[in-house]
Amino acid sequence: MENTIEVKNLTKKYKNLTAINDLSFSVKKGEILGLLGPNGSGKSTTINCLLSLLSYDQGSIKIFNEEMTPDSYEIKRKIGVVFQEVAIFEELTVKDNIDYFCGLYIKDKNTRKKYIEDAIKLVGLEKFKKFYPKQLSGGLLRRLNIACGIAHKPKLIFLDEPTVAVDPQSRNNILDGIQKLRNQGATIIYTTHYMEEVELICDRIIILDKGKIIASGTLDELKSLATIEEKVSVEVQDLEEKYLEEIKKLKYVDLVTYQNNNLQITYKKGQNNISHLIDFFNKNKIAYNKIFSERPTLNDVFLELTGRELRNE
Amino acid sequence: MIIFKTFLKILLKNKFIIITYTAILIFFGCFNTQTNDNTTNFSATKPDILIINKDENKGLTKDLITYLNKNSNIKKIPDKKYSLDDALFYRDVNYIIYIPKDFREDFLANKNPQIKIKSTKDYQASLAEMMLKRYLKTATIYHSEIPNEKDLLESINSTLKVSTQIQMTTKLNTNSLNKMISYYNFANYSILAGCVYVICLILSSFKEKSIRKRTIISSLKSSTYNLNLLLSNSLFALILWIFYVILSIILVGNAMFTPHGILLIINSFIFTLCALTLAFFIGTLLSNKNAINGIVNVIALGSSFLCGSFVPIEYLPKSVTQIAHILPSYYYIKNNELIKKIEIINLKTINEVLINGIILIIFILIFILLTNIISKKRRDFSYQ
Repeated sequence: MENTIEVKNLTKKYKNLTAINDLSFSVKKGEILGLLGPNGSGKSTTINCLLSLLSYDQGSIKIFNEEMTPDSYEIKRKIGVVFQEVAIFEELTVKDNIDYFCGLYIKDKNTRKKYIEDAIKLVGLEKFKKFYPKQLSGGLLRRLNIACGIAHKPKLIFLDEPTVAVDPQSRNNILDGIQKLRNQGATIIYTTHYMEEVELICDRIIILDKGKIIASGTLDELKSLATIEEKVSVEVQDLEEKYLEEIKKLKYVDLVTYQNNNLQITYKKGQNNISHLIDFFNKNKIAYNKIFSERPTLNDVFLELTGRELRNE
Repeated sequence: MIIFKTFLKILLKNKFIIITYTAILIFFGCFNTQTNDNTTNFSATKPDILIINKDENKGLTKDLITYLNKNSNIKKIPDKKYSLDDALFYRDVNYIIYIPKDFREDFLANKNPQIKIKSTKDYQASLAEMMLKRYLKTATIYHSEIPNEKDLLESINSTLKVSTQIQMTTKLNTNSLNKMISYYNFANYSILAGCVYVICLILSSFKEKSIRKRTIISSLKSSTYNLNLLLSNSLFALILWIFYVILSIILVGNAMFTPHGILLIINSFIFTLCALTLAFFIGTLLSNKNAINGIVNVIALGSSFLCGSFVPIEYLPKSVTQIAHILPSYYYIKNNELIKKIEIINLKTINEVLINGIILIIFILIFILLTNIISKKRRDFSYQ
């Protein structure tokens, strides 16, 4: 499939600090690429370089098969950006804000009118068209921020942490909207440090750390990098030390932690682990309340690759 | 077009604060104009005179009283010492003339009769004295040649009737001109404060970091964006200027359509352009909305004080006026004062006004250049 973005050997330095180190990747037309990494990993710097908001020391960036420069207005015409910070006019209504940012790309009034309505519908702000930003909640502001970034129907969309500090309802709405945009044919680069979102909507994922790509691929490909297979959590009241030691000796168990009556067991392989554990509890007459199992997350992958937690960075 | 549309929307959203601010400036402008009403019209005044006539009211004596009556206000106060002293003290009369008994006869007999007077020794009293001396001097001169009383009185009256017509060489209405200068000097503050406040207020929204970032990555060319913003702001400055000009016409009247008035209007137009480009430059530098009030005070109030908008520059220390030379307001106000002094307007007399106008235009070009440099630097700063 045709590449929308091609980045080769991209390096960006701030004096002695290398923010991006020899980054190479491509984004295929119509896919959602997730850029995942802790704060300071180089996600925003990468996006800013791609958008020519930052110069870079080395490498090349091609968007729609053309070199991207600050004066590439034809390329910019096809790009939409939603930054982490909400960029809107406090003095304008929801509709007027979208009109302004759409107007930077679309001159025809009638086309713009239709696009504005589409954007409002996409983010679910129909009831708030005439509201001023100060009358909107944080979640609605984020939705407006997205509408302003995508109203001109761009073919390539950059979404930089669009769901930070957003309520669950707005988050679901935003994620639904992003999937709709992809279904409409847009290519999307999505940066976040929320793994759940990446797992939910991204076709491919690049994990960045200290300006370097430490892993990339589909969700399944990345998860296969993890040596663990299953994580089981059980709520157990006052578990004795001797039982903890015995659990550690159970088949495929890799790691056992017990904190605040919450027992967490990591298995290297995952078949019938829960049933074996329940058998063990029943046999030793250990009372338990909730028990659930989960597959390894991207955080586990990151933990294995870097030795650090992704979500705590 | 979208920039202009958004500019207007933001302007309208801030209409209350803008109207209030402009109204305050206008109020002070009008107040300043009215309190600087330096009247320079001349009108004849008549002194208040009391005549105590001890002579018979006929012939020369009667003629003298008639002459005085024509040219002054004759008062009637009882001939008592304390009443007369009080009348002088309270300025009920300026001049008391005592015509002695047999004045007429003694005069015609060349006995040189003495007329006693009492005076408040003020300007009005001097006028009365001048009148009396004029009559007596004329009478004395003619009497040496004309002994007949009837002929003498005819000659005196025909001479005293002659009056000189004074025609002003210029039709300059100094009262209106003073009002105009006062108004347009104060307009330095009004226009500067209005432009800097409103333009910075609106630009602070457009130049807000995240909005600016979104604009930079859009397909709108940076030069087009800046030009659109400048044109939108120019429209505001133009409206503000027209408003002030109309107000000056309302306050001063037809005098604004004289060559002096038109020169003042042209000067204020150039200064408005200067204020616009200065405001645009400050707006480009400014990133904090809360700093606008402080900036307006420093720029508008500061330069108005330094350059003689409120206090005539002649009263300011030399060190202050030397600093004022680096400010556009100085050249604008200096031009107003020069226009005030010009009697006949031609290329020669407005030479210095033109030079100051050119200096103002140079200021405009400097501000545009600085804005472009800063704007480009800001863009380069983000692109690094």
